[in-house]
Amino acid sequence: MRRANLIAGAELALMVRSRVALIGVIALLLLSTIAAATSHAHMAQELASRLANQTQTDALFEAQPARHPHRMVHYGSYVYRPIGTLAGFDPGVDPFSGTTLYLEGHRQNSATMSAVRENSSLMRFGQLTPAFVLQTLAPLLLVFLGFSMITRERTRGSLKLLLSSGVTAQDLIIGKGLALGSVGLVALAPAWLALILMAIAMPSEAGAAAMIGLGYGLYLLIWVVGIVAASAFARSGQAALLILIGIWCFVAIIAPRGAAELANRLQPLESRAATDLMIQAELRQLGDSHNPDDPFFAAFKARTLAQYGVTRVEDLPFNFRGAVSAEGEALTSRLFDKYFSELAATQRAQSQIVAYVSILSPAIAVRRVSMAGAGTDLETHLRFLQQSEAHRFAMVQYLNGLHRDKLSLADDSARSKNPTAEQRTRIAADNWAKVPNFMFKPTRAAERFSAAIAPILTLAVWLAAMVALVAWSGRALEGRAL
Amino acid sequence: MRHIWRELGFLLRQRASVWAVILLAGLSILSVGLGLQEVAKQKAAIGEVIALQEKDTAAIKVFATEAGDAAYYRFHPTWDPPAPLAFAALGQRDIAPSILRIRALALEGQIHENEAQNPELSLPGRFDLAFVLIYLAPLVLIVLFYDLWSGEREAGRLTSLQALPKARTRVWFARIVARFALVSGVLILALWGGAILSGAGLGETLAFTALIVTLLGFWTLIAAMIAQGRASSPTNAAVLATIWFVITLIVPAGSNLVINATTPIPNGAAIMRENREAVHDAWDLDRNATLQRFYKLYPEFATSAPMQRPFEWKWYYAFQHLGDQQVEPLSRVYRAGIAERDARAGLVALALPPIAIQRGFHQIARTDMAAQAAYQERIRTYHTQLRTYYYPFLFTDKPFTPADFDATPGFQPR
Repeated sequence: MRRANLIAGAELALMVRSRVALIGVIALLLLSTIAAATSHAHMAQELASRLANQTQTDALFEAQPARHPHRMVHYGSYVYRPIGTLAGFDPGVDPFSGTTLYLEGHRQNSATMSAVRENSSLMRFGQLTPAFVLQTLAPLLLVFLGFSMITRERTRGSLKLLLSSGVTAQDLIIGKGLALGSVGLVALAPAWLALILMAIAMPSEAGAAAMIGLGYGLYLLIWVVGIVAASAFARSGQAALLILIGIWCFVAIIAPRGAAELANRLQPLESRAATDLMIQAELRQLGDSHNPDDPFFAAFKARTLAQYGVTRVEDLPFNFRGAVSAEGEALTSRLFDKYFSELAATQRAQSQIVAYVSILSPAIAVRRVSMAGAGTDLETHLRFLQQSEAHRFAMVQYLNGLHRDKLSLADDSARSKNPTAEQRTRIAADNWAKVPNFMFKPTRAAERFSAAIAPILTLAVWLAAMVALVAWSGRALEGRAL
Repeated sequence: MRHIWRELGFLLRQRASVWAVILLAGLSILSVGLGLQEVAKQKAAIGEVIALQEKDTAAIKVFATEAGDAAYYRFHPTWDPPAPLAFAALGQRDIAPSILRIRALALEGQIHENEAQNPELSLPGRFDLAFVLIYLAPLVLIVLFYDLWSGEREAGRLTSLQALPKARTRVWFARIVARFALVSGVLILALWGGAILSGAGLGETLAFTALIVTLLGFWTLIAAMIAQGRASSPTNAAVLATIWFVITLIVPAGSNLVINATTPIPNGAAIMRENREAVHDAWDLDRNATLQRFYKLYPEFATSAPMQRPFEWKWYYAFQHLGDQQVEPLSRVYRAGIAERDARAGLVALALPPIAIQRGFHQIARTDMAAQAAYQERIRTYHTQLRTYYYPFLFTDKPFTPADFDATPGFQPR
């Protein structure tokens, strides 16, 4: 081990003396710091803007004047997807998904206002975030600094000298690995520091921050060990460099895109417009509120009349129109839920396909750890959509309840033609404040942990494979040097 | 020419070069196949929606006998068909809907609707020919060029090669052209194959081809310049990879940060909400005053009878339009802000040819931000056409017949 330390020290001294290596490391540190600072500031601002929008929307809702409750159903409300503290570290899918959802009666709108539609096309080249720096940039720097660590010893002839002077191949590999590993640590430092600061600011996120830190640690370690192995195997520095750049390109650039295309092909999604139309068509089959003889609504009427032992809707103890609205909303909402669960299942299946490709690319695995930990993965977005729909339904049904209980059928039926009846259908404004506000429940820490287990294991398997590879390269090194 | 063929022959006898070119050819063909499939999928989705919409409209026609009902319940499909070369540069088509159904209500609440896409799949970007060209082709060129001089030097042949008569043209120029031609040939063939299958026009295909040649020419120049230096082969490779990396990944990402910070845009969500406020406030305002505001914009209907009942369709559509009018200035600023961000990206592109060429690809394929904005403008124009078609039925006693229902203007794509 002492000899390994000596070798590591010599290698590091060489890197410090070589200006190129030093500049590379400093450039990475600089980029990493800029990325951490700007991304954190941007996401904090984004969160503040969404919270401000939510507060304002809720205040507007409560400030609405006395109205017919069905007006409020159409007035509706907006919900804005909040983001966690760690989103500044890895914004994940947040900029690519709608952040604002309009909730109204009879309709399920799409989440809209995504950053990607408000940015120039440059955004599609990648975003300067700590996650991007660690997933894409850092490995390439490690490749540049490490590819010739062992090939250099061989081409210069110093390898034979070292091995005959009592240094084992194991010492050499561990020493070089330690040297490159320290560079990796330096590259990680700003990111880990950012994670620590975020965890201090929000202690409930500490576990997730630690998980992200562990994921990136494993990821860079995979690269360190793999690069040492490649340098030990390769016949020349040149060959090592070309192979490593090729692998980097595949792992960090080609595989993520390829995985997305594969998922798109194997699990195609319906367009939103087609889904809307299918829901409409199915709705018409189930119960058409525009058809006075519709069997669904006729049956509902007969059931309701029988339940209250009356023969006319006028004799019911409540406003039958409100009851019909509630029944209709329940019907549409069931369809929304059905189609949404199909959509969510398809999207989850797509993400699972991407997850499988992480067997070929640890960059995908670490991205999954990172997004799950930061609460910026697909799951968080789907949850937002699902909880928003539940909130929409509760809000609309509350208003339909007011419509049923607080209005008389006679006034309600005459309101379009009779101004005084119209005035009587307006109920007091204090009813609006009773609608509960939307509270987004993001994935709990435990859920995020379990979501990260599979990709962390994938990274561990990768690391084990790289360690096996480097051990094998050590034996090859001794065999070839003799 | 003879020298170029000879060098091409040499090149094809080097294992690493052959593998790099085969890989590039495979990925190009794959990307073109994926692109064509994606475009076919988008076309099929448009066709599906138009067909489904017809059934929906037929069902609405049964009960929507009044113009007000028809305008309220009937959605009209609008769509942005992919241009013939879209397969090569899918651009922004995955993040914004290429089909949007709209109706004659306030537009600001409808036009921002999103596609139901999986954001995790949009995150890495598309695997199209533009991706192969911008990201992968330069790397292949680097592999072919980095040791062009240093390799000969390291093998001890450089001095004798330089001593050959007319070494510049016979050896080096021929070697550079052979490499450039091989890579360009592979990519241009992939483009042309796709262009023939998708029925693209000759002009646009040639324009795209010219961009490919410019892009690869740029990288050939850079690679040849670095490779000519005195550094060792591995140093050349590392320097070239770093240049590629900075140009294709770091500068765009950094520029985007700067552009966003220096070009603020109004909050889009707030515009949507303000539109809703303007629309819904009308229910509590004096109805005839609302109508008077509308008549200022449409004086031809000012003679319409004042409102008799608490609800009349004409008033309803009047305040829908007034709601759009109210946020129009802010909405314009919002759109102009996004366009300005993209224009500034164009300035960044002036300094970095690969980014300019990427934008050129998307422009020719009509998949860029401008194409998105143009589609949105067509939706806006169509929406005006649609609501003004209904106005005479709403504001005058012109009867709305089933024939009028059928004669409602349809959307005309580009």
